Amino acid sequence: MSATGSSNPEYVNARVRSRRGALFDDEDYRKFVRMGPAEIARFMEESTYEEEINALGARFSGVDLIEFALNRNLAKQFNDILDWANGRLYDLIARYLRKFDAWNVKTAIRGIYADTPREVVETDLIRAGEFDDRRTERLLEATTIEEVIDSLDGTIYGRPLREAYDDYEESGVLVPLENAVDRAFYENLLDGLVVDEATEQYREFLYAEIDFRNARNALRLARSGADIDPSEYYIPGGRLFSAAELSQLAQSPDELVTRIRDSVYGDRLSSALDELEQADSLIGFERALEAALLEYSGSLGHVFPLSVSPVISYILAKEREVENIRAIARGREAGLTEDEIEAELVIL
Amino acid sequence: MFETLPELANVALQADGTTSGPAIEPSAAAALAVGLAAFGAGYAERGIGAAAVGAIAEDESLFVQGLILTVLPETLVILALVVIFLV
Repeated sequence: MSATGSSNPEYVNARVRSRRGALFDDEDYRKFVRMGPAEIARFMEESTYEEEINALGARFSGVDLIEFALNRNLAKQFNDILDWANGRLYDLIARYLRKFDAWNVKTAIRGIYADTPREVVETDLIRAGEFDDRRTERLLEATTIEEVIDSLDGTIYGRPLREAYDDYEESGVLVPLENAVDRAFYENLLDGLVVDEATEQYREFLYAEIDFRNARNALRLARSGADIDPSEYYIPGGRLFSAAELSQLAQSPDELVTRIRDSVYGDRLSSALDELEQADSLIGFERALEAALLEYSGSLGHVFPLSVSPVISYILAKEREVENIRAIARGREAGLTEDEIEAELVIL
Repeated sequence: MFETLPELANVALQADGTTSGPAIEPSAAAALAVGLAAFGAGYAERGIGAAAVGAIAEDESLFVQGLILTVLPETLVILALVVIFLV
């Protein structure tokens, strides 16, 4: 509700755990993979997505219906959590959910860059972050990238975007702007975080997220062969890499995996890391990293049950579910085989 | 001044005219014990109750379990009541 008053982890965690139990499991995914979009929508109607499917069913159909229902449900679930949480717990959750603000800003910028109509951009937004409706509205109304930046004055993204704008004008690609948004989000993630027994795990998780993001960026750069310095994409705050080390590790994925295996994540991630080493494609590698982060967050929730960790682990699991269903629906539409679709999923 | 201290202490101790007794009455001590136990039970129920209401909000069939778990710490007060009979 607000950031004042005492926090109520018991209440929030009880509800979140119940919702976590209602997520689709492996068996459901296996069924989904064999269904067409219409059947998936029907299956979703009998689950927690009932309200969204019913509300959107008259206007959309097929994969669009599934996708909009997923986005809307995701936003609703996360807004619910913010509604329940009080005090410090609210602050800790909101801090993490700001990543949807970052997503919305990036979507708006991309929409303008690609000249996409406003309605299309609007359906891609996930209104689960901290921006209120008015700011989101201004974001949508902007017709130039400069207007987007103006509408973000007073938020954590305003200044970094303004600084990156010159780079964008020079190069004509969106990378500097998107990078500025990401960095603004991750830098604010750890800023002013009060660490005690209850938030210790939370900080560990945020470190892990930053570390994994760094590893992924380094790998992408290494594979793309582009002549860009990886340290430009470096997000400070993690524990595993320094900017200089990352540039070096970006040259060889094997060394990167060894580095992660020797780190504090090694024990928990050994099985995922084996997969990582076997994965020959970048997509497989990234998928394994995501699975590793998901597994890590899941284990954190058990260490300190009355902290924010179970909530974060639910947020991740829910996001994954949404992305899995989207991948299945899109894969079916594109005519991929069942095996190909299953390779796209992250299932624990 | 220090030489007068023992005498002062004697005067203070004999001020109420009786021999030395407990600081507070036994019944008052028992009341305090029960009160503190009730306080502890209340604190325990706060957390459990919040979690139970959260669980019930998601799934109404958990009402009975939630109710039972919420009143379990009440046994603290009942056990503390034994003290009353010992006094």
